[in-house]
Amino acid sequence: MEKKVVVLPCSGIGKAYGEIGRQAVYELVEDLRPDDVTTTCLGRLMIDDPEAKALVQNKIVITIDGCTQDCARKTVESSGKKVECALRVIEAFKKNRDLKPEGILELGEPGFKLVHILAQRLNEEVDRLMRKEQQNV
Amino acid sequence: MSEEITLEEIKYDKVGIIPCNGEEICEGTLTRYASRKVLDKLRPGCTVTICLPLFIAGDKGEQNFAKIFPTITVDGCDKRCSQLSTERLSGKPSHSIIVSELLKAHGIKVPQSRRTLTKKDQVAVDVVAEEIAKKVDEILEENS
Amino acid sequence: MEVTHDKFIFRVKSSYLYHPDECWVKRDGEQVTVGITDFFQKTVGDVIFIELPETGTELTKGDEAGMIETIKVNVTLISPVSGTIKEVNSGLGDNPQWVNTEPYGEGWLFKMAPSDWEADKKELMEARVYFLRMEEKIKKEMAKG
Repeated sequence: MEKKVVVLPCSGIGKAYGEIGRQAVYELVEDLRPDDVTTTCLGRLMIDDPEAKALVQNKIVITIDGCTQDCARKTVESSGKKVECALRVIEAFKKNRDLKPEGILELGEPGFKLVHILAQRLNEEVDRLMRKEQQNV
Repeated sequence: MSEEITLEEIKYDKVGIIPCNGEEICEGTLTRYASRKVLDKLRPGCTVTICLPLFIAGDKGEQNFAKIFPTITVDGCDKRCSQLSTERLSGKPSHSIIVSELLKAHGIKVPQSRRTLTKKDQVAVDVVAEEIAKKVDEILEENS
Repeated sequence: MEVTHDKFIFRVKSSYLYHPDECWVKRDGEQVTVGITDFFQKTVGDVIFIELPETGTELTKGDEAGMIETIKVNVTLISPVSGTIKEVNSGLGDNPQWVNTEPYGEGWLFKMAPSDWEADKKELMEARVYFLRMEEKIKKEMAKG
């Protein structure tokens, strides 16, 4: 069955938020919702890769940005696709201030706890948006 | 008399590394680890990592740096997202690395997971990082 | 005024005065407005939480005047002048990122009625003096790698 949702992290390399978002997407795509959700490289949208553009075209798109720069959301929107839900890792971190990641790539236990929380949040958004789409059919 | 500074007179002391950060395949993950290793351990002080998503989204700091200083793009695969984006937004990079090709040339197996790298995968990280560091040295030597 | 080092652009507002602990002070009639510098916000990272003093609090120059929390560090804020807190930037509760995006504007922290402005302002730097000091700090940070 074709997957209905594409989730795109920013994967920023300057801050830990980028890795947290990336890992949360992997948890969602590989563990929580392997039948419903996929991901692709943000860079491919930038270079107008036809496969990547076709992938997002007929799907629900969720972006997960590290911070308020909103790079993933902006990149997807500049490719002409509407983002149904734009989340930010920093917002999840504000609610869980004790979970400071240990490094930019090596997140450590607190960083991965934040990853799990974010993956669950993404899971909830996938449910909500898929239900909404069902109702609109 | 006006002062003119030509490009030849500028001595570059930094090189920008632009990994693709690709999410789809493990080579994308390798670009991140290798680039950070160069920045943090192998060539601290003479390298800067450019965040490709920020670069693409229009951050002037990232784009201006790449226009002025030499850059090395590190792509996971032959889609060359980092190289093409850099050419489009700032100019031709000084050097471009494709991780999948580099690993093949060294006979190194691609890591199994895009999510986490094992101790065995560290060999792949080291090979890519050393290649980037070697190119950093060449660029700075040429420009000194 | 601004200077670029690597990919970072550091800005200094010409009309403000500066304290060595990286906060700025702007005279607004009988009050002063206080915030943190662009250099400082870049150093500490994305602000996620700010604790500010209550209105009416009396502070002596150098007293603790709140706390900034980022993903990297918790940093104590100090009061650059003596006086009474008249207003705090309540918008920072929901928008702490203003400290990063607009450190000299929307990201202001608090306003005070200074008790000894003539004495306290002598210990503040003009923008051009602070700019040179900031450049020295940046070079030292860059040299560390």
